[in-house]
Amino acid sequence: MQKKIKANPISARKVAVILWSLVKKNTKNQYRRSFLGILWTVLNPLLNMFVMAFVFSRIFGRSGIGMDYPVYVLSGNIVFGFMRTATVTAMPSLVGNYDLITKTRTPYAVFPLSNVFTALVNFGFSLIALIVVMIVRIPAGVRFHWSGMMIFLPWLPSVFLFSAGLALLLSAVYVRFRDLKHIYNVLLTLWMYLTPIFYSVETLHLPEKYSLVMKLNPMYHYLKYFRDAISGIVPSWRETLICYAAGIVVFGIGLLVFRILKKKLVFYI
Amino acid sequence: MTDVIDEELLIDAKNICMRFRLPTERIDNVKEFFIKLVKGRLKYTDFDVLKGVDLQVKKGESLGLIGRNGAGKSTLLRILAGIIEPTSGTVVTRGNMVPLLKLGAGFDMDATGKENIFLNGAMLGYTRKEMLKKYDGIVEFSELGKFMETPLKNYSQGMLSRLGFSIAVDVHPDILLIDEILAVGDAPFQKKCAQKLDELKAGGTTFIVVSHSNAQIRRLCTKAIYLKDGLIVDSGDADAVVRHYEKDCT
Ligand SMILES: Nc1ncnc2c1ncn2[C@@H]1O[C@H](COP(=O)(O)OP(=O)(O)OP(=O)(O)O)[C@@H](O)[C@H]1O
Ligand SMILES: [Mg+2]
Repeated sequence: MQKKIKANPISARKVAVILWSLVKKNTKNQYRRSFLGILWTVLNPLLNMFVMAFVFSRIFGRSGIGMDYPVYVLSGNIVFGFMRTATVTAMPSLVGNYDLITKTRTPYAVFPLSNVFTALVNFGFSLIALIVVMIVRIPAGVRFHWSGMMIFLPWLPSVFLFSAGLALLLSAVYVRFRDLKHIYNVLLTLWMYLTPIFYSVETLHLPEKYSLVMKLNPMYHYLKYFRDAISGIVPSWRETLICYAAGIVVFGIGLLVFRILKKKLVFYI
Repeated sequence: MTDVIDEELLIDAKNICMRFRLPTERIDNVKEFFIKLVKGRLKYTDFDVLKGVDLQVKKGESLGLIGRNGAGKSTLLRILAGIIEPTSGTVVTRGNMVPLLKLGAGFDMDATGKENIFLNGAMLGYTRKEMLKKYDGIVEFSELGKFMETPLKNYSQGMLSRLGFSIAVDVHPDILLIDEILAVGDAPFQKKCAQKLDELKAGGTTFIVVSHSNAQIRRLCTKAIYLKDGLIVDSGDADAVVRHYEKDCT
């Protein structure tokens, strides 16, 4: 019998299968052999929120923030946390998958991207925590809108693109320069404090020029959009545009750098 | 030269050159890189591993690659597999090619044997559903049925190789690239592997085998190539080439 001879491209289907299995593996491995298992993905942001809400409501005061403070902190934290987890775990992903990269034909981008998808899964679980807190805080005046959960959906791809772009960039550069890890950790801490997670830019009463600078931070806009949406406010076109512009530009840069560095990458891993 | 595509020609590599650029010192942090760049002291030495290798493999043929350590056999195999790009030269391949350059590449040591079968299958492009059909066959061949729920870090070295091999041979590729992975497991398992390979060979699978076992090359391959210093010193009938290589080695 004559066997059909087919070409040997890396098909989209293969990429999807690999991506799916890597995401499953990552998600499982986070909580392997832990007693509460996957429940931690919900508990983690909750506990974080308690700590932050407790500490920072004393320091910054909650006056002037239009939202319930625990909800404010938690919503900011899970959005920033998505970006942070995605990029921090993706950075060493090419180096860590040395075996697969040098010994099999796997498109490199699936490794950092699988970490971004895993972070997205975690983000999904964090949403459960957020919903729980919002419902619990209804007596304190929180208005819970299921529709708000729908409003934020169009925003999700933009923050995903933003994180994916950074993840691609960091993972490729990290292959050459391992000190990126330390540099990025420091920058990330700075970035976190410059992002209104537990305070609000408006209540800081900064001089005009400083608050303008703070609004150059894309994370500021991702948080603002998300918080608006869960409060039931339909974000303006302008906000939507800013989120997507930042997402697309960063993804484009990340992809470009990844493609340039990719060719030589196998020799430096 | 004709423009007619020869359907029987599965691999056609022309004038493959591979040059590695080795920095005289390894630089992996930004500070050093910039200091060296500014001082203009980013020094490299070029190192030619392959200097123009031509290679053609037809359907049903099996090719052995032999040569001393560092001759460039693994490098050539990785180029044929499309994992690295040659510095110059062209490679055309046809058919479903599975590179077996390391058994169990991508195994997750924390996961169980069963989970790893599906994970490894995914790396070869098979969905969970498709792997489910192959699962029983793989477990049976590996004789590791008892250990399917055990994490891989508790496997012995031989058991790991057995699992890797069992997954790899179950995929029925047109071309199988093998790099020194045939000596896996204990004697009974090796015998089983050899039988399996004969079976694949009879089924029309094409092999490219790198091995330091001359007996293996003689048994599996119809043709062979002897690589030395990045060039083909001898090629043709496997038996004759192996004899040439053996003579050089003594
Ligand atoms: N990424 C790399 N960067 C620099 N040099 C490399 C790289 N990969 C391989 N080499 C060099 O290329 C040469 C050939 O290596 P290769 O692995 O192809 O040898 P081989 O014929 O498979 O040897 P063995 O029989 O030991 O497996 C070696 O000298 C090695 O140092
Ligand atoms: Mg080798």
